[in-house]
Formats: sequence, C-alpha cells, structure tokens
Amino acid sequence: MNSIDWIILFVTLALIVTYGTLKGRGSKNIDGYLLGNKSLPWWNVCLSIMATQASAITFLSTPGQAYEDGMRFLQFYFGLPLAMVILSVTAVPLYHKLKVYTAYEYLETRFDLKTRSLAAFFFLMLRGLSVGITIYAPSLILSTILDWNINLTTIFIGSLVMIYTVTGGTKAVSMTQKYQLTIIMAGMIIAGLTAFYKLPKDISFAEAFQLAGIMGKMNLVDVSFDLTERYNIWSGLIGGLFLFMSYFGADQSQVGRYLGGKSVTESRLGLLFNGLLKVPMQFIILYIGILVFVFYQFHQAPVFHNQSLKDKAMQTEHAMAISALESEYNQVFANKRDEAENLIDAIRKDDPMLIEQSRKTFESIQASEKQIRSKVKEQIATALPGSNTLDKDYVFITFVMAYLPHGLIGLLMAVVFMAAMSSTASELNALASTTTVDIYKRSIKKDGDDYHYVKSSKWFTAGWAIFGMLFASIANQAENLIQFVNIVGSIFYGTILGIFLSAFYLKYIKSNAIFFAAIVAESIIVYCYFFTEVAFLLYNIIGCLVVVVLGFIFQFIENQKTKKAS
Amino acid sequence: MTEDQNEKPPVFSTWGKWYWFVMFVLAAQIVVYFLITNSFR
Repeated sequence: MNSIDWIILFVTLALIVTYGTLKGRGSKNIDGYLLGNKSLPWWNVCLSIMATQASAITFLSTPGQAYEDGMRFLQFYFGLPLAMVILSVTAVPLYHKLKVYTAYEYLETRFDLKTRSLAAFFFLMLRGLSVGITIYAPSLILSTILDWNINLTTIFIGSLVMIYTVTGGTKAVSMTQKYQLTIIMAGMIIAGLTAFYKLPKDISFAEAFQLAGIMGKMNLVDVSFDLTERYNIWSGLIGGLFLFMSYFGADQSQVGRYLGGKSVTESRLGLLFNGLLKVPMQFIILYIGILVFVFYQFHQAPVFHNQSLKDKAMQTEHAMAISALESEYNQVFANKRDEAENLIDAIRKDDPMLIEQSRKTFESIQASEKQIRSKVKEQIATALPGSNTLDKDYVFITFVMAYLPHGLIGLLMAVVFMAAMSSTASELNALASTTTVDIYKRSIKKDGDDYHYVKSSKWFTAGWAIFGMLFASIANQAENLIQFVNIVGSIFYGTILGIFLSAFYLKYIKSNAIFFAAIVAESIIVYCYFFTEVAFLLYNIIGCLVVVVLGFIFQFIENQKTKKAS
Repeated sequence: MTEDQNEKPPVFSTWGKWYWFVMFVLAAQIVVYFLITNSFR
C-alpha cells in the first residue's frame, strides 16, 4: 500500500465515523436510541439488513470459497427469499402491532417471562460470541496483510464502531450502513472487473465462464439429496429457510433493523427487496472468486496465499525445501498456462474430443499443483507448529494487494473495514437492546426513566464492544471463518426458531412446555455438534422440530396432569 | 398503500402479489443457475 491507499482508507473511515456520530446525535429517549424513532424508508431498511448480514468475512472468504470449491456455496442462500416472504406475512405486522423494542419482548406476551429470558439468553450467547468473531476474522487477515499487530487491529476496528454506535444507537447504525454497503458493492464490482480485464485480451466473459465450468467451478446447483453434504439445493432451500427464518425473525440484530422502518409497509418492502437482491449479490461475490481463479490460470498464483506466514517459515531451516517446492510449482504453472490456452482453443473450435482431451491433461496438471501446495503447507506446519495453513481466506485479498492499481487497494481495504464495521455495529446495537430491554429493564431495574435507560444502553453497547474485542483477541481460528460463524449460528438458531414458530402458530403449546422443550432441544443440538457427522445446516431443522414436537408432548402431559388433578 | 391494505391476508392481495413475485424471481434464478451448471461443465 502506498500513501494514496492510506489516504483513501483513512479518509473513508473518518467520514463514515463522523457521519454516523453526527447523524445519530440527540437521541434522548429510548424510542430514539433503540428504534431510531421508527423513521427509516424501505430502501434504507433493505440496505441496513444487507449490510448487517454481509460481514467482512463474507467479502474476504466468499471469493476464496469459490476459488477453491466452486460456486455451490450460492445454494446456501436459496432459502432466504422464502424466509423473507414468510416473515413479511407473520412477524413484521405482529412486531409492529405490539410496538416491541426486541423480538424477545413478544415472547412474554405469548408465553411468560422465563421463556422470554431464555430466548434472550440464547441470543446473547450466540451474538456475544459471534461479535468477537466478526471483529476477529477480518482483524486476523488485515493484520497479516498490513503487517499490523492483531490486537491493535482488533482494537482499531472495535473502537471505530464503538464511537458511533454508542453515541447514536440504531439511527447511527442504519444511516451509516447505507453508505457502507454502497462503498462495499462498488469496491467489489471494481475488483471483479479488474480481474476480468487482466485476463488475456482475447478471452471473452463467456469463455471465462466456460473455462471455469470445465474446471468444475460452475457447480451452482446440485440436486443430489445427501444429508451429510453441506451445500446442495435441498440443504439450501430447507436448511437455509430455517436458518434465515431464525436469523431474520428472531435475531435482534436483524429484527432491530426492520423495526426501525416507518411502517409495516416500509419494513416489509425492506425485507422483500433483500429477498430479491441477496442471491444475485452472493452470485456476484462468488463469481469474483471465479474470475480470480481464471486469472490465475494465466498468471502465476502464489504457492501459498498467506504470504506473511510463508515468509516466517522461510526464516527457518525449512526454507530450502519450500524454495525447491516453489520452483517445481512455477514449472508446473508454465505447463498449466500452455494447457489453458489449448483449452481455450478447443472451446473456440467447439470440438468435444479436443475439449475432453485438454480437460484431462489440465486435471492432471491441477492435481500435481495441488500436491505441491499440500507439501508446502506441510512444510510450513512443521516449520511453525500450531500455525493455520488454510489459506483460502487470503486468496482474494492477496490478489487485491498484488494486482489492483494503487488507490483501488485503499478502496478495497476500506471495503473490508466497512463490512466489519457495519455488521459489528448491528450486533452491538442488538446486544445492547436485548440486555437493556429484556434483562435490565425487565428484571433488574424496573422503575428507571427514559434518560436512565438510554444511558444504560450506551454503557451496554460499550460493554459488549469491549467484550467482543477481548474475545477476538483470544479466539482461535476455525477451519474456515465464514463456516464457523454459520455453525455457531446454527447451534442456537433452531431452538430459537422453534420457540418463535410455536409462539406464532401453535396456540396449543403453553409456557412451561415450550421452556423445557427448548432446553432439551438445545442439549440435543450440542450433542449433535460434538458427537455426530450431521451437516450443520440441519441443526436448524432438528432444533426447531425438537422444540415443536417436545412442546406438544410436554403440553399434552401437562394437560393430562391438570385433568387428573381436577 | 394504506396500513389497512397491509392487513389483508388473502394470497392475491397487493401484498400477495409481492410475495409471489419474490418467489417467482427465486424460481427463475434457480432455473438459470441450473442451466449454467449443466451448460458449463
């Protein structure tokens, strides 16, 4: 990065923080601070929802996911539009009608205080942990790329968010998110176009598609039914539907966004437009990863994408072995580029025999390339015990640093920071709302005035931000960051969704039954996570079904007991 | 659109049309993605 990049990065960050702080000033009552006085138009609700969901991990990890595994991750989002429709029919009008501050407040009206507190507790658990990951994941990558200390990076991101979230509450969060998402999408599209324009001049967009397809990367839809398969159309439609119903219907970080809508209409339209735009948006982000993949068929890719870790390994006695493997890798690349050109020729001639022959040669070259990369990773792991050698989260950012022009590098860095800030801000705001409204105001200090609760909310926001930063500094990296966040979500979401579905639709189930059903369901999910191979997206369905079924059974038993007693 | 209209539950109300539209767009996308998967392999 040069001075232009640094200026762009810091000016963008400073403008956003200043804007958020100024726009959010003056919220003197709890309605203003936690609901933004319900003043947002639908398009702002939509942008706010999208910015909340799209964390820095989305932009760092998703292109890397496509680069390694193809585009099948897209199927994960197929359940989202359906969830938007169902929630627009059910949750949105209900929350508006009851004038709630949080989703859990509704549970007391429907069940009782202990169920409300249990759901709020589950939420605080899952969001409290994930706010740490939301800050930690980009901090880890940015600290490596920018050569900053990880703890300082964590504190930097956390503090920037804390400034405007504490000062301005919900209004500041939503107002900044519309600009953050605009900058993020502009930056990503520019990065994708740059990757495309850096391909050999004579390769068209369609040929890039074909090349990626022949190499097995355009695996957008997999219709095979396999319960242990993480991404296919069924796990996406069914598992994704349950996950997104929970996330948007019962997770305060999203509910808080559309509760800020001017009316039921504005909140609904915000959700529905999210349903229309989300899948194409993910397609674009994944396709950027594919373009980077195609780009690296014609340009030398790094043997290991986490350059900083490789440099550290090169300081050890394994340097010779790594250098030898790197030379071998470079030699393989020369063959690969020739074969990629042959493949393009075969595609142009539209000769299936030639394409098949070229594909086979290509696959064997890819296999040897993969083998060399594995050996390099082994060397690095031996040289630096305990280090994480998974490098797919570094694929995109390393490409940006190496191939984008100065100025754009600064913009893309700003994109990553913006994404980290926008999702962290919503999470902090939701954690503070839930702690204040569902725990503090309801069970600890019931007789405070508005000023007191605004002040408490500010303290809780700051407290959760500090907790997030502390958790981030002690977190260990998971197999893949984006998946880890989704797994943590799935462990709690199913149960929370089960509680909410029962609340909305199953009048038969009452408070005691739902409370104990939720506790048993959560224990089963935790068991599945530690002791079974069940795909994590299915936790949502299992958790939800167990809550509903056990809710019915427990209620039936309770009714029988009551009958006998009377 | 007034808040009263929002309360209409039937499937083919103004909101019903929105819901079908969102689901239609999803279905259309899945078909396109399926065709891409099968065309580029």
